[in-house]
Amino acid sequence: MSSIERATTAPSRVVEEGRGQWAFVKHFITVIVMLFLVVVAVYFLIPVVWLLIASTKTQTQLQSTGIFSLPAHLELFQNVRLLFSYSNGVFGRWFVNSIIYSGSVAILTCAVSSMAGYALAKFDFRGQNVLFYIILASMMIPGTVATIPLFVIEQPLHLVNTYLGVILPLIVSPFGVYFLRIYIRDVVPNEMLEAAKVDGAPERTVFWRIVVPVIRPAIVTLLLISFIGTWNNFFLPLVLLHNQSLYPLPVGVDVLLSLIATPAADQSMPIYQLVITASLLSILPMIIGFILFRKQIVTGLTQGSVKL
Amino acid sequence: MQLPGASQKTEKEVNSMKMSYARRSHVVSAGLFLAPFMLLFVAFLLAPLIYAFYTSLFIERFGQPIFVGFRNYVNAFQDAAFWSSIVNVIKYAVIQGVIMIVLSLILALVLDTRYAKLKSLFRLVYFLPYAVPGVFASIMWGFLYSKPLDPLLQAVHFDPLSSGALLYSIINIATWEWAGYNMTLYSAALTGVSSDLYEAAIVDGCNEFQLAWHIKLPLLRPTILMTVILSFIGSMQLFNEPFLLSALTPISQTFTPNMDIYAMAFNLTNLPYAATLAVLLGAITILISAVVMVAARLVGRARRQSEEDTVTTGEAVAA
Repeated sequence: MSSIERATTAPSRVVEEGRGQWAFVKHFITVIVMLFLVVVAVYFLIPVVWLLIASTKTQTQLQSTGIFSLPAHLELFQNVRLLFSYSNGVFGRWFVNSIIYSGSVAILTCAVSSMAGYALAKFDFRGQNVLFYIILASMMIPGTVATIPLFVIEQPLHLVNTYLGVILPLIVSPFGVYFLRIYIRDVVPNEMLEAAKVDGAPERTVFWRIVVPVIRPAIVTLLLISFIGTWNNFFLPLVLLHNQSLYPLPVGVDVLLSLIATPAADQSMPIYQLVITASLLSILPMIIGFILFRKQIVTGLTQGSVKL
Repeated sequence: MQLPGASQKTEKEVNSMKMSYARRSHVVSAGLFLAPFMLLFVAFLLAPLIYAFYTSLFIERFGQPIFVGFRNYVNAFQDAAFWSSIVNVIKYAVIQGVIMIVLSLILALVLDTRYAKLKSLFRLVYFLPYAVPGVFASIMWGFLYSKPLDPLLQAVHFDPLSSGALLYSIINIATWEWAGYNMTLYSAALTGVSSDLYEAAIVDGCNEFQLAWHIKLPLLRPTILMTVILSFIGSMQLFNEPFLLSALTPISQTFTPNMDIYAMAFNLTNLPYAATLAVLLGAITILISAVVMVAARLVGRARRQSEEDTVTTGEAVAA
């Protein structure tokens, strides 16, 4: 009753009080809202803008000019050259390492998780649900808890200080299995699988020829998420690697940063410049890729998590 | 008469044999598809966890492990540095969690009103830090926090890297990193809602604020709970930001539990005790997360119950 009354009276009251006033209020709110959104946007952009500007300065300019003022002569290429010549070009090595770690982890995570997700979504076997809940529960375990013992377990396997030692543990993605299991269950029609099996197609063929093409969007999402996750990972490679030539970018740049407190920093090496330029070059590919692929990333993140 | 029955039986048998063959091959192929993941899951996640607990029952004397039962845990309970690091991260988790989730909610709800223009541009800018590794976020903010590089700080006589302000400076870095991520999850949950509901509310005379408060916010409750839990688990593991900032300012090695564990394992090379602290940190994190989840479920149930009560009494009055 009351809702119907309100529905009929509310618009008529607006009409009586005049449309002009309401339009003014609406404009006023829009201005306030936009102002707020712009201020927040500035907050999120400040560090990145500062990094861009700082990477164009020399060490002395960095300390003598305002933090957001561009120098008269841009030194970006000078800084980049400096960075790539530092310690026989070890930065280039870190960059390549990051690509190796992130690329192989992303591809292998997708392969392993889609197979496991398929088994959990479309097969019946005893203990299936228990297994799925164990995998789900393992998402609750703080990732770093297993990292120190991982170091101990990898030692006798000769995996400490190797590419494989970093890649293998990162392939284990309970989120990936969960996400693809849900996706396969909802998206791949059983009739399609049955038809292929009646035609005599072996399981392997059914998986690669029917399941994988259908779930390609989800695989792309997982590929991107695990690439970003590996590129950003710091703790695991920090614990498992001791050889500078195997470091990915975050661990390598941490080594550079830790030189700041040493006496060598001021005299022989422009450490600030090295760290700033290295940071810029490390995040730039991620930011560009992120802008290009944001849609795919968002779909996956939300699909996987909303149903959790 | 016997002949057809016998043949029927064999047919059945053949059928059941066929079935069991199909059944077996079905289970075998499921196992083959699961094998790679399960192998890695056991070797690189379960085994380290079990091994962490196992080593925590030993101490090392002259390179020889000696079984001591739960003595490491008894020592850990009296380890003041460890517990103060736990208090630190819980304080951090609560303050950072509240600030970040409120900010993310406001951004998601404001961007969901008709007053906001250029929505997808703002969503992109806010979400951008998700692509920036925590290490580099810490470096950028760390430099903006350090006086020699930031004339603004010299002017206002405020040092974000002083021991009193450090926790809040880290809170700022983490909020910068994750607010947009959480906003994205909320925005997605809101776009999943059918617009009929909103139209009905607007016809009912709801303004945008009432719509956000009475309709959208309750709809977001499950997503909020999930982000609270995920953010809490992440906060308890705090490591990257203080570890990186310690290059710019002196920070205690026991500032957070993970820094404590890392130093214990690699600077003091006491792996059994590091494992003990890791097991404790994991147990505390899971315990608190579980309590929060159960509490949220109970509150949700009680709320639904009271809503149902009001609905039924309302109907009774109407009748």
